[in-house]
Amino acid sequence: MNKTILVIEDEKASRDLLVRVFQKENFTVLQAENGKTGMKTALDMHPDLILLDLLMPIMGGIEALKEIRKTKWGKTIPVIILTNLSATDEKLVESMISERPAYYLIKSDWKIFDVVKKIKEVLRIN
Amino acid sequence: MSSIKLTVSLFLISLIFTSKTVSAQAIQSTSTSLDVTVAPGEILPVSVKLSNFGGGKRVDVLISYIIASDSGNEIVKLSETVAVETTNNFIKNIQIPKSSSEGVYTAKTSVVYDGQVTPANTEFSFKVEKKIFGIFKNQFYLYFGGIIIFGILVFIVTQILSSKQNRNLSRFSPIDYSNIDSKDRVFYELVSDTIMGMRHKVGDRALDIASAIEGLSINRETGRVIKLSRTPSKIIAELVLGYEKSLGQKISFAFREPRR
Repeated sequence: MNKTILVIEDEKASRDLLVRVFQKENFTVLQAENGKTGMKTALDMHPDLILLDLLMPIMGGIEALKEIRKTKWGKTIPVIILTNLSATDEKLVESMISERPAYYLIKSDWKIFDVVKKIKEVLRIN
Repeated sequence: MSSIKLTVSLFLISLIFTSKTVSAQAIQSTSTSLDVTVAPGEILPVSVKLSNFGGGKRVDVLISYIIASDSGNEIVKLSETVAVETTNNFIKNIQIPKSSSEGVYTAKTSVVYDGQVTPANTEFSFKVEKKIFGIFKNQFYLYFGGIIIFGILVFIVTQILSSKQNRNLSRFSPIDYSNIDSKDRVFYELVSDTIMGMRHKVGDRALDIASAIEGLSINRETGRVIKLSRTPSKIIAELVLGYEKSLGQKISFAFREPRR
């Protein structure tokens, strides 16, 4: 079955790359450039997984995730955080623990195809 | 007087054989090493080249072909008459009997014609070998042996990698915290998995860093989290900071799926 991924990422170059790679992997890809439009797209389109950046204009990733988690659908939607923000802040860690993403991945630490692997693992795709 | 030069060669796959050459006027012989193999029942193609140095006069030549085993047992005996004016080249296909036993054989060819002064004959050796699944027996054993050796090597390498992976898994596999109250379990799991992840990268130094964090008590042998006596998010943030300083890069981590 074709799975849908929502990419919420403000950097256009990164977003375009992710979208292109995921499309090549036969995912249907939705995209948003900030937390607010990302949250709206998520709640409207109900993707199978959200790939979420944290530091974004208008609305950050954490706020968007908190809003998504408030809904019945959003409680269980798998989310992978892909960010450059280090989890050395107590409040950020607290948010991570409460909002439970599947992974907290540091962008510079991960090759895009490894991110695809993680996505497939979370979506239980061989 | 006619003189006939006989050249017989054998083509098989890409091998070219030039056999002994004997002419009526002068004996010239050239030969190259032969490594030709046919299976019982297969065709042995023999290329025959007849040259008449007798001034263009047509000569009827009787050619005889004999295939004989090493022990002299003749398994094929054929003859035919061919007319030669200047040259005549053709391929003679000789079928090796199905019942032929394996071994080295000799293909002998001789010509007889009117006014012959000296005999013109030639011979070359070839091997008869049975086939298994369409491959000559020796080659089959060679390939089969190669495949078995390759298979054994793959098996050994797989076993080594598998045991190495198992060792890593047992060392780094997630620790079970089902004994911890469900509302605190997520913190234990997250701290524990972060320690394990770092241990994978920096070895037991990860345990030293974790031990130095206030409010975090761990088993120094296994890395198991024994007690979290401070705000867990604070401990995790400090742990991540400690590892980032040690490793010089930011830390990614995974969250376990909540138990249903």
